[in-house]
Amino acid sequence: MSSAPRMEIGKIYMPFGEAVRIALEDIRRRFVRAAITTASVVLGVAFMDALLILAAIARVLGGEGAGVQAYQLWILFISLLVCVVGIMNSMLIAVAERTREIGTWKCLGALDKHVLLLFLIEALLIGVIGGLLGWVIGLLVAVIYGTQVGMSTVMSALSTSSVTIAGLEFLPTAISTFVLSIVLAVFLSLVASLYPAYRAAKLNPAEALRYEV
Amino acid sequence: MKYEYTVETEDLAKYYTMGPAIIKALDGIDLRVIRGEYLSIMGPSGSGKTTLFNMIGGLDRPTRGKVYIDEVDISKLDAYELAWLRCRKIGYIFQTFNLIPVLTALENVMLPMIFAGVPREQRVKKATELLERVGLGDRLHHKPGELSGGQQQRVAIARALANDPSIVLADEPTANLDLKTGLDIINLLRELNREKGVTVIVATHDLKMIDVSDRIVYLRDGKVERIETRREIAIEIEEE
Repeated sequence: MSSAPRMEIGKIYMPFGEAVRIALEDIRRRFVRAAITTASVVLGVAFMDALLILAAIARVLGGEGAGVQAYQLWILFISLLVCVVGIMNSMLIAVAERTREIGTWKCLGALDKHVLLLFLIEALLIGVIGGLLGWVIGLLVAVIYGTQVGMSTVMSALSTSSVTIAGLEFLPTAISTFVLSIVLAVFLSLVASLYPAYRAAKLNPAEALRYEV
Repeated sequence: MKYEYTVETEDLAKYYTMGPAIIKALDGIDLRVIRGEYLSIMGPSGSGKTTLFNMIGGLDRPTRGKVYIDEVDISKLDAYELAWLRCRKIGYIFQTFNLIPVLTALENVMLPMIFAGVPREQRVKKATELLERVGLGDRLHHKPGELSGGQQQRVAIARALANDPSIVLADEPTANLDLKTGLDIINLLRELNREKGVTVIVATHDLKMIDVSDRIVYLRDGKVERIETRREIAIEIEEE
């Protein structure tokens, strides 16, 4: 055994398309878990959008207190922090639930980075979906709340048919909040998932297989 | 096939420290597994079967001693090389089946081939063939949750063979199955062992396994108590 032959070690593959497909399947099949994680994102983003859009509506309608107040920014910051903690908590539970599955992945040839990749792709998808939903909900809340508060102004705007002008002025805000929502949601989701995904990737396969849920 | 022994262990030991106590899960195992052999590792629970399974499978590192797979000392391999070894050289079968729950039977069998870089068309073809071989040709697109325990274990067997490994390692493959289904799984493993010439190593305390094994290794307290070949067992039975 002194001149032990080297095994010709080959490459290990994980095409990105396959990883995305598996991550999507994971979200679809574990819908409740994914929905809870997504809800965290949605709440944070919706709150932010509602604030920003309400401020924009107030500006367009020439109403009182234009712009976002300082104390509102504080609440926003804290709500986004809560959102990150919520995602992280949910992701940590997901990793714990799937410990044995991760052990199996590693038996089949998965490298640490593949496990990391799978969880981060899932986080990315959840971020995109959460950002989108959050924006829609935030917009709805802002428009409904805004029109109630400034009902008379809206009515008068409608009667003078300047509503189209108002709508046009409002459009940039809608677009910018949309982009902001998606970017922020993806960012928050990824940041919150980094630690859980890292923990999943670093699991020792023998211990992971022994794990009892 | 060029090497005589698929698996060789030298003074293999694994100790776990639990507080002040040291638990010797394995304590100096010397074992040679001949290529194409069907080897059963028997022993009561806690005798070190699963630890031995993990060591041979490259899932955990020993405290002392060596494991050679196809004459390569796997303690010298890095994480990447170990992953490759697990992917290409070894097929794993578990007591709890361990299929990926979100993937269909076909996708489960194709998974190791994704890691091996097999093109999609070939993956589908080979996985279909394997599933047909284990008798699940009509269950290709079922998810594990829609399959019975015996069927799930068949998928796991097909998956273990996906990359034509040198060794199939099975840890208590029949423990979660009823008598009849367990026997079917044992016979299937034996048939595939003969058909493909793949070395099968089964950690078990299922006595049904004795009939099909070429050799049986009895473990006790992390040591090899004795090794019996099938002929010896047959003689014992005759004498009785």
